[in-house]
Amino acid sequence: MKDCGRDYGVTIELYLDKELIGPDLEEFRAHLEACAACRVELEMREELSRLLHRSRPLYSAPAALRDRVMRATELMPSSAPYALPRLRRRILRVLTRPVQSAGRGVRHWPMLVAAILLVAAGLLPIPGILRQVSANSYIEAAVAAHRSSLNGGLPLEIKSESPSAVTAWFAGKVPFNFRLPEAAEEVGHEQIYRLTGGRLVNYKDGYAALVSYQMQQQTISLLVASSKSAIAAGGEEVPSGGIVFHYSKQMGFAVITWSTHGLTYALVSSLPGSGRQSCMVCHQNMSNRDHF
Amino acid sequence: MSWNHDEASQADTTGIEHLDGLYSYAMVLTRNHAEAEDLVQETYVRAIQALGRLRAGSNMKSWLFTILRNIWFNQLRKRRNGPQMVEIEVEDGVANSIAEPSKNSHDLYVSKMEAEQVRATIQELPVESREIILLREYEDLSYQEIATVLDCPVGTVMSRLGRARAKLRALLSETLKGSDSLSVRGTK
Repeated sequence: MKDCGRDYGVTIELYLDKELIGPDLEEFRAHLEACAACRVELEMREELSRLLHRSRPLYSAPAALRDRVMRATELMPSSAPYALPRLRRRILRVLTRPVQSAGRGVRHWPMLVAAILLVAAGLLPIPGILRQVSANSYIEAAVAAHRSSLNGGLPLEIKSESPSAVTAWFAGKVPFNFRLPEAAEEVGHEQIYRLTGGRLVNYKDGYAALVSYQMQQQTISLLVASSKSAIAAGGEEVPSGGIVFHYSKQMGFAVITWSTHGLTYALVSSLPGSGRQSCMVCHQNMSNRDHF
Repeated sequence: MSWNHDEASQADTTGIEHLDGLYSYAMVLTRNHAEAEDLVQETYVRAIQALGRLRAGSNMKSWLFTILRNIWFNQLRKRRNGPQMVEIEVEDGVANSIAEPSKNSHDLYVSKMEAEQVRATIQELPVESREIILLREYEDLSYQEIATVLDCPVGTVMSRLGRARAKLRALLSETLKGSDSLSVRGTK
């Protein structure tokens, strides 16, 4: 180091990172033997590296993400670079989005080949699968947003109990029009939940609206997106009032999704009971309770 | 899946082995678990789409990290022009630590605390330092590979890395002192 008449700081870094080669490496090794100051400096820097290496990996990928990626990598044909672009696109669309209802994926190559052949022959019900995949993707997004809300990671951008104020705030910010029902629509019936506000969240290439409600110390999240990008499908299906509600459990949360008037909704909560029962928690005092 | 056209390297090259690395990189860039997951998934989606353009013998690891960084950078630019979203700070408890079975409970606790301290300290650094520490110390990328990922000269990599390490050493000085005693007990 400087004590030895020359600043070896950069050289020590290069040595530590195995970037020092040839005569430079030999020269520095010889210098190290003779220079106590540089040995101390090297040891100090090595200590930091050892500490960092002990904490590897810095983060481990969550199991759900690992499953999704593994499914994608395992199902991709080995001839992928040479496959027809259209076929590749189809496989990509099916495989690279989360499919919660699917199994652990194809683990063995005979099954892999069979699956690819089926896709290639167009024998798989592609539209149905894509529909379910898209629906699951929306549910995952809604649950992730809800969890972040609970953790305080997604603070409300508008805090208001007024549906009209929240509706007005979203106007022009999301690529669709929607209106939260006024509390007055339930005149004569006690509302056991209350609106607390909303915020924007990223969904696919645009924004979705996250609306937050509070009920008996519990937060309920409602994710609203255009039906062009989000689909409600799968789960326990309950038709009511011309709308089909889809109930499912995702990561311990009750999720209800439905589509109407060009919008798709996902309601996420920790409400107990089956789908129909969980609806009744909020609608028990309302005029439309008989619908559930 | 064959990411690399080179027959010799095809067997162990599925891309999945870089998942933790890519997720760690996404975490140091975004400091947000949900965004990091999206970023990694999008990286694999883009990678599959671009498979045909990957040249024989290409460095797939650097390639994947470059894709991830480009997606993040584009998202950041897009976000700056649109409504502001809140960056969420990482909670250390969510991160996993790898424990060796032979360690006793005290040492496990010490290791876990040490790893959490390291993670938290790295996340305190500016993004420029966070990413270069991750790429070098955790992913073992060479200076040239890092330069490719960051799209900057090797000299810039060296100077950034030097600054990042100096800052990290200063911030972790107490932990480094503690790790000396850990080494003496032979639990390292």
